[in-house]
Amino acid sequence: MANVSVAAEWQLLYNRYYRKPEIYQMRWKHVDLSRNKVACASFGGPIAVIRDDSKIVQLYAESALRKLRIFNSAGVLLSETIWKHPGGRLIGMSWSDDQTLICIVQDGTIYRYNIHAELMEPNVSMGKECFEQNVVECVFWGNGVVCLTEGGELFCISDFKTMKPYKLADVPGLIEDDMLQPTCLAVREPQYTMSGNVEVLVGVGEEIFVVDEDEAQSIRFDEPSVEDSEMQNDDYGNLIGAVQKMIVSPNGKFLTLFTHDSRVVVVGMESKKIAIDYSCESALPPQQMAWCGMDSVLLYWDEDLLMVGPLGDPVHYFYDEPVILIPECDGVRILSNTSLEFLQRVPDSTESIFKIGSTSPAALLYDALDHFDRRSAKADENLRLIRSSLSEAVESCIDAAGHEFNVTRQRALLRAASYGQAFSSNFQRDRVQETCRTLRVLNAVRDPDIGIPLSIQQYKLLTAMVLISRLINAHSHLLALRISEYLGMNKEVVIMHWACAKITASPSTPEAHLLEILLDKLQLCRGISYAAVATHADNCGRRKLAAMLVEHEPRSTKQVPLLLSIGEEDTALVKATESGDTDLVYLVIFHIWQKRPPLEFFAMIQGRVLARDLFVAYARCHKHEFLKDFFLSTGQIHEVAFLLWKESWEMGKNPMASKGSPLHGPRIKLIEKASNLFSQTKEHTFESKAAEEHAKLLRIQHELEVSTKQAIFVDSSINDTIRTCIVLRNNRAAAKVKSEFKVSDKRWYWLKAFALATIKDWDALEKFSKEKRPPTGFRPFVEACIDADEKAEALKYIPKLSDLVERGEAYARIGMAKEAADAAAQANDGGELLERFRKTFSQNAIFDTLKMPFQGVS
Amino acid sequence: MAQIPSLDNAPLNLKSIREKSQRELVNLLKDIRGSKCLVIDPKLSGSVSLIIQTSALKELGLELRHLSAEPVLTECTKVVYLVRSQLSFMKFIASHIQNDISKAIQRDYYVYFVPRRSVACEKILEQEKVHDLVTVKEFPLYMVPLDEDVISFELELSEKDCLVDGDVSSLWHVAKAIHELEFSFGVISKVRAKGKASVRVADILNRMQVEEPVSSNDVARPEVDALILLDREVDMVTPMCSQLTYEGLIDEFLHISNGAVEVDSAVMGAQQEGKKMKVPLNSSDKLFKETRDLNFEVVVQVLRQKATTMKEDYTEINSTQTVSELKDFVKKLNSLPEMTRHIHLAQHLTTFTSKQSFLSKLDMEQTLVEAESYDICFEYIEEMIHKQEPLTNVLRLLVLFSVTNSGLPKKQFDYIRTELLHSYGFEHVIALNNLEKAGLLKKQEFKSNWQTVKRTLKLIVEDTDTSRPEDIAYVYSGYAPLSIRLIQQAIHSGWRPIEDILKLLPGPHLETKRSGFPSSPLIDSLHGASNGVADGRRSIVLVVFIGGVTFAEISALRYLASKEGMAYDLIIATTKIVNGATLIETFMEKLG
Repeated sequence: MANVSVAAEWQLLYNRYYRKPEIYQMRWKHVDLSRNKVACASFGGPIAVIRDDSKIVQLYAESALRKLRIFNSAGVLLSETIWKHPGGRLIGMSWSDDQTLICIVQDGTIYRYNIHAELMEPNVSMGKECFEQNVVECVFWGNGVVCLTEGGELFCISDFKTMKPYKLADVPGLIEDDMLQPTCLAVREPQYTMSGNVEVLVGVGEEIFVVDEDEAQSIRFDEPSVEDSEMQNDDYGNLIGAVQKMIVSPNGKFLTLFTHDSRVVVVGMESKKIAIDYSCESALPPQQMAWCGMDSVLLYWDEDLLMVGPLGDPVHYFYDEPVILIPECDGVRILSNTSLEFLQRVPDSTESIFKIGSTSPAALLYDALDHFDRRSAKADENLRLIRSSLSEAVESCIDAAGHEFNVTRQRALLRAASYGQAFSSNFQRDRVQETCRTLRVLNAVRDPDIGIPLSIQQYKLLTAMVLISRLINAHSHLLALRISEYLGMNKEVVIMHWACAKITASPSTPEAHLLEILLDKLQLCRGISYAAVATHADNCGRRKLAAMLVEHEPRSTKQVPLLLSIGEEDTALVKATESGDTDLVYLVIFHIWQKRPPLEFFAMIQGRVLARDLFVAYARCHKHEFLKDFFLSTGQIHEVAFLLWKESWEMGKNPMASKGSPLHGPRIKLIEKASNLFSQTKEHTFESKAAEEHAKLLRIQHELEVSTKQAIFVDSSINDTIRTCIVLRNNRAAAKVKSEFKVSDKRWYWLKAFALATIKDWDALEKFSKEKRPPTGFRPFVEACIDADEKAEALKYIPKLSDLVERGEAYARIGMAKEAADAAAQANDGGELLERFRKTFSQNAIFDTLKMPFQGVS
Repeated sequence: MAQIPSLDNAPLNLKSIREKSQRELVNLLKDIRGSKCLVIDPKLSGSVSLIIQTSALKELGLELRHLSAEPVLTECTKVVYLVRSQLSFMKFIASHIQNDISKAIQRDYYVYFVPRRSVACEKILEQEKVHDLVTVKEFPLYMVPLDEDVISFELELSEKDCLVDGDVSSLWHVAKAIHELEFSFGVISKVRAKGKASVRVADILNRMQVEEPVSSNDVARPEVDALILLDREVDMVTPMCSQLTYEGLIDEFLHISNGAVEVDSAVMGAQQEGKKMKVPLNSSDKLFKETRDLNFEVVVQVLRQKATTMKEDYTEINSTQTVSELKDFVKKLNSLPEMTRHIHLAQHLTTFTSKQSFLSKLDMEQTLVEAESYDICFEYIEEMIHKQEPLTNVLRLLVLFSVTNSGLPKKQFDYIRTELLHSYGFEHVIALNNLEKAGLLKKQEFKSNWQTVKRTLKLIVEDTDTSRPEDIAYVYSGYAPLSIRLIQQAIHSGWRPIEDILKLLPGPHLETKRSGFPSSPLIDSLHGASNGVADGRRSIVLVVFIGGVTFAEISALRYLASKEGMAYDLIIATTKIVNGATLIETFMEKLG
């Protein structure tokens, strides 16, 4: 039976099954792991290979120059570059979490490469001490590294993003004694330590020290328990003794040690309890040690791979070629010259289905499908047997399918699941769909050409988002795009990265052509930031392309600042103006204002109406003098004149300048200057004359204040000045002002009549009315009297009104209804006036009668 | 009755807009812990009073101050400036802070810009070296619902800024506000615009839709079908005329601000003399809702009628026997406060309307609008100047005169300006210059086409019966506002039939359809009455006035909406509610 063959490949470690399917036949040729330094990234990441310069190797038909080559997990060459860095031997090489290859050479210089084997500037040094003392060993973790120098000092970078090296505390004895060297190093990542800082475990002699930035503490794992008390006479320190190799478990809680007496010991870091203690045959320490998930420990010597669990006999695997162990969260990948295998504990669901002789519901369901396919009635029998636990069986099939690398078996398991699902009513149906979706993605990235052999558990830990960003980093944009589409994720990241990569990769493609290619893809994603792509183009030195791209950015708030930063000020101004967003226009104005000399700035905005107007509005409020320069340089003399004239009032407001103080001199001069400027253009003769008159008026007012000793003239109008003169009964002065400003007779009559009425000089008024026939008729006299509420005086002039309608209205206003009606009757206007009188006289009465009844209530 | 209108019967859910602004403001203020002093620019404080009650603000532990040049006197260590992004305010803020520094007072300063921060304002703060001391945030208040059918963008300087200074910031603001409405109520598919500013707003609105699309998923179905944009500049005649509706007259004589009018308490029949009181005016007042849009003549009659009935009821009460009759009577009494309020107001108004000068001014306005007796008009205005009537009144008629004649002949133009400067003072040269720049008072360069416009659009309607109006002309007792005539056309037939006339008026016009919804269930045109009532809901047309609208015009629009055969509810949005006087005042700069 097929099921038997599946389980036949498993190995049993105590009560747990392990399997080790081959994932890839390596595509590479002539790669001998034993001749090379190799760095393999976890989560199915890339493999970096470089000839090991610490070994003497025979060169075949190859260059003496060393090459750094980067492969994917299936051995497909991704990139290569020649290694010719100074600084001595390559001591350590490892991939960081964001898939940067970190290489540390003897003198402590760190060279960083991306997956395309491109050196990432700048190179960083581990520090002066490292440079002087030489680095002898490095221990990496995902986001940092610890280096040990020949002098026995420890240096650490705890974040590859900032790349700031610092020194850790000295380990007692190491510095003082040149001969004493640590036997082994291990690192507890910051995320697992109490302090949140990295801790380095250093094995020196028979002791293990925990070292951080501040201190080095010796720890012991082997304090005698109560049962051990009879052994007290023994030196308990010798229980473990000198350690030859150690590693920390993936969750940072356990430590695996290989002791001087060939024992593998696993102890808890906090509990100090020994979980495994197994004596090996080999006295030599293993070349590699690794945790397989959290369940067992692997030790590798040449051709022998030993898996030790907490209980039971260990499992041996034999290899006739060198292998490299790549720990993953749920197992270990085993890389050899020819293949890549994945060693993991068989998942419970898989075990329940495929274990030989299994009668679990899931196994029966899987079997039932087999019968069903062969049209055997036993299918139904199986289903009946598991009716009560059908959904559990379906769940197991789905889960097992997820863990499967073999597509055929994935399919079989999923079919079994959906077959069972058909008979199960209370099952969440989207589970099958979800697993299918995940598996499609996994199978796609597992393809040897992509070469990312993620297990479902790793994928869930890594997240789809990070997977996509890894794909785009490796320039697998199309697959990344498909996956994000398929998973309904935002495509923007992918397309954006593609566009930027495309620009970087095509330095010689003509702008127009490249733009076309880019637009074709960028249009796929609505709301994508063209400005961001343009910024990249600008950074790549393709300013013209940047300008073309930014043209397509629909959001002017993003477009305009970018245009400014690439120096396209003109376009920025045009775009800002088009957007209608005056704030953006101001942004551009201030930018240009700051960068250019004033005249150039003026010339630039003069032609642009909106920019000019906004600048003027701003400058009016804040930069008067600068505004004058602008108007002068652009020939708008009259605007300068207006500014000066306005300033004259500002000056007037100043209390120091008021009422006859000598400051009137400069004020008048300012107005006269304005008048002069106005006169330079034909269109402003009116303003010029008005300013001139204004200056004259101020002078006269000033004189009047001096002669009358009353500070009441300055800044009143011509009319008010005349009125004040009449009220002060200074008729000569009034007449003088009248003639100075050629006040028309009409205005004079109105003005004087009202002025006389205010001082109730009725005799003078009457005399005035008789001077000559008033050019305005007698209306000014009537109105002045009525305004002053002097009926008797008014009556002197009302009969003299020639217009009957006017006469009637005048009578009405002083309440003489009968005379009004008489005049109205005589006025030949069809009784319209009479009607109106009736209305006004009656209307006021209405409200009073209306309000009456409510007064008591409200 | 509250000054904040209830908005319960609004055709659009304006309440949600108000509540959103309310929440945003409260959250912004709550962000700052402890006691604080809120310094608010005075005009903005009016707008804010329509969003949230002052008492609610005080509950947040605020001291309230108005922004002015004077330093803020407060014990609080936290000062929050809530200001519109106007350059002039920045100097005040900077000087306050500098004043504090000189006195070694340590405070935290927050500047909240309304509706958004501005580069230019912050530049001033930077140059005054205080920018580092303030925390800058935004309060995105783009509009304030004034009533069930009226929204204001609160941009009272929009007209002057656009026409005189060329500062079109307000247009972006208007577009943004409309776009915000679209986020709530869906993309407006049909747009009709007349005037430079309106066409620009339509353009910016389209850009915004591209930059920041309102997707069809956000809103179930667009509630607003059409957008009509109109520049105030297109019709400067109407606001210069005296409004004759009840609400319009109150505004002309007593000035309504933020939905309330302030009068002497004696006017309202209260005992204390000399005290001012605020009378809220919005449609939460049922009687006001009924009368606000009527010609004032009719209002007097309506009030008389109602009062008479009440009076009769009141006398009957003596003979009332049963409890239910009493109940009815008490119910009627509920409307009594409203009755007395409006009787008082109306009577107060008649003291103005019965004046000879008012009547003759109305006559003159009519003559000016008819534009057939040039000399009479000129002499009337000349005499107004000689009598030294208030400058705004003179300028109002002068603008009306200039606009209907497309300017004054050079000689008279210069003469009248000289008379103005001599009579009122030379400082007014700036106002004259502003009006000239805006084209409102200018030298005549070509013959006026006002006659053609007036005739073709039938702006003068003889024999209007104000009590049973048959035309919008009732709001000005015989003159149908040009603006509303245009909107009437836009609603019923679009621009095409009147293109010739549109060309005679300032600015371009535009008629477009916008996408956003792949298949609009509505029929393309605005014609006809049948298509609007698809699901028992009347379709909505948003009418936007850029540069302001008068109460009389709003009344005319309400009249249109209420007319039989009208398939649309109208929502009116404006940069600000204006009248001739307030409009003229924006052009006058304070000098001297």
